[in-house]
Amino acid sequence: MNPAISKGGRRSLWGFFWLLVLFLYAPIVILIIFSFNDSELVSFPWLGFTTRWYHEFLANGTILAALRTSLFVASITAVIATALAIPASIALVRRRFFGKGLVSGLLLAPLVIPLVVMGISLLILFNAIGIPLSPYTAAIGHVVIALPFAILTMVPRLERIPAALEEASRDLGASAMTTFRLITFPLLSPALISAALISFTISFDELVISSFVLGEEVTFPVYLYSQLRLPERLPSVIAVAVVVLVMSVIVVVASEVGRFVSERRLESRTGMSADELGSLSAGKG
Amino acid sequence: MSDVTPAISIRGISKRFGDVVAVDDLTIDIREGEFITLLGPSGCGKTTTMRIVAGFEDPDAGQILLRGDDVVGVPPNKRHVNMCFQHYALFPHMDVQQNIEYGLKLKKVPKDERQRQVADMLGIVRLEGYEHRRPGQLSGGQQQRIALARALVNEPAALLLDEPLGALDVKLRKQMQLELKRIQNELKTTFVYVTHDQEEALSMSDRIAVMNLGVIEHLGSPRDVYERPATPFVADFVGVLNAADLIVSSVESGRALMTVNERDRVIAPSEGLDVAAGSSVLAAVRPERIDIAKGAVDAGEGSRLSGTVAQIVYLGTLMQFHVDTSTDRRFIVHQLSSDASDAIDEGDEVTLTWPVEDTSILRVGA
Repeated sequence: MNPAISKGGRRSLWGFFWLLVLFLYAPIVILIIFSFNDSELVSFPWLGFTTRWYHEFLANGTILAALRTSLFVASITAVIATALAIPASIALVRRRFFGKGLVSGLLLAPLVIPLVVMGISLLILFNAIGIPLSPYTAAIGHVVIALPFAILTMVPRLERIPAALEEASRDLGASAMTTFRLITFPLLSPALISAALISFTISFDELVISSFVLGEEVTFPVYLYSQLRLPERLPSVIAVAVVVLVMSVIVVVASEVGRFVSERRLESRTGMSADELGSLSAGKG
Repeated sequence: MSDVTPAISIRGISKRFGDVVAVDDLTIDIREGEFITLLGPSGCGKTTTMRIVAGFEDPDAGQILLRGDDVVGVPPNKRHVNMCFQHYALFPHMDVQQNIEYGLKLKKVPKDERQRQVADMLGIVRLEGYEHRRPGQLSGGQQQRIALARALVNEPAALLLDEPLGALDVKLRKQMQLELKRIQNELKTTFVYVTHDQEEALSMSDRIAVMNLGVIEHLGSPRDVYERPATPFVADFVGVLNAADLIVSSVESGRALMTVNERDRVIAPSEGLDVAAGSSVLAAVRPERIDIAKGAVDAGEGSRLSGTVAQIVYLGTLMQFHVDTSTDRRFIVHQLSSDASDAIDEGDEVTLTWPVEDTSILRVGA
């Protein structure tokens, strides 16, 4: 506890914190509540508990098709963005070359380009070179915006893998490729998993670019958005939203737990020897 | 010159990084089976030289011959040298066995042969039974031994060691110095050792190459480098040094006399040096060669300087005296602790004396 903060100050800080939590999560809680409300109208009063909307969406082929398209596009995005981020981050972290700052800026620029602009540009580009719009073109757009996140996930991890490990491997007779396979890749894998999951999530709820370059088959966010005009569809759309939400929470929590565990294992192996750790904790007391 | 092919022959290599010249036309032959140390301050080019030999840097000019074959442009994995890294660089996701057999596996050595060789190597570094530990479970000294085993199991033409003891504490470092020397004697492998620690270099090496600003200033045995340093830099870097700029008063039967005042003088052997009466020289003497005594003492035929004790530092077995001498330079004197040395206090007038042959003339001319 910080002694510089008075009792009253502490109380108002806690109050502020809970207000913030409420602000962040109240909409989601309300969403979950209404998905079980036995009413066509998404509003109070509460008319009774039902799982009707869940049954309805399971019977709705369009919703399921949209979910499938989303999963498909997100999987492609995750694989391609991660695969592209590996050489990009290795170049940024390990290599010295002319114009490195420029290259890094170009790779990360999609972070700050408005999605609408990106969507229109991609649409014009695909039309100009005659590529028909499809879930694949949407995936290309998603790769563009997911790549900076994938790179930014991998760069810090790579920076913490000493270059000397790769040099030692070369020194012991391994080629550059073998070194990547036996040393860099295994040590980088926690970051690879994170990068893939982040890319997946970004693609999965991307609406703007998808709505420009998606063609006939719609993704889940695009479908959701289009249904807002039809109030009678809303309750079952909300039910799907809840299912998707729960699934994402499970995926994210599982991946974070997995990453934490593997990081901890690596940490205990690379970082410090037992006596160094001992002297550190002794110093803390 | 012998007609035996050197283990490593470095011929006229140069390397610059931008405007900085790291290695400047460096030439040295490293003999088969010797323990040679590249010694110098950080930035002197010693590590760059080693990395060029290992293949991690390409020289801008010059040749590297490994047992007679030019290896410039050959990637590190195709060179028959191995390296021990400063922070060991053990693979954290592999156990000790997997670390040591890494090179053998790449060479497709069969499994039972690998296991036998790993066990042998663990015996040599005295870590029998550690096959299945992870690097993170080992102490710094143990990790160092595993790194050594991992390199030596490949039977390299030379082992390159880049400040391998730098991360260890003082006591462990001394122990590992002896250990390294023992292993080198046992295996007769050529060791090329890089360090900035002159004590480490003196205690382990067969030969020392003292480097500064990308060139070798002195190549010789530890005794040679310490006692007959070729340049002022070498003298200063290898151990503490007292040096004073003096004018030669006369040269007679191989001895130069430098008179400081009516009582004080420095006498040095001058054979092979281009000195005459009137030459300005830099004369030097090691702290442990000087005798210190209270009051005015006769020096016989050797050097003699009077001065005032400015500071006394107790170093356990040694006493260190800082003496402001009549040469205007402060001299450092090391003396074994004894009743005589105990009798001297700060502020006392003292006389420093040392024999003729302990003075070296490091430089003639300004």
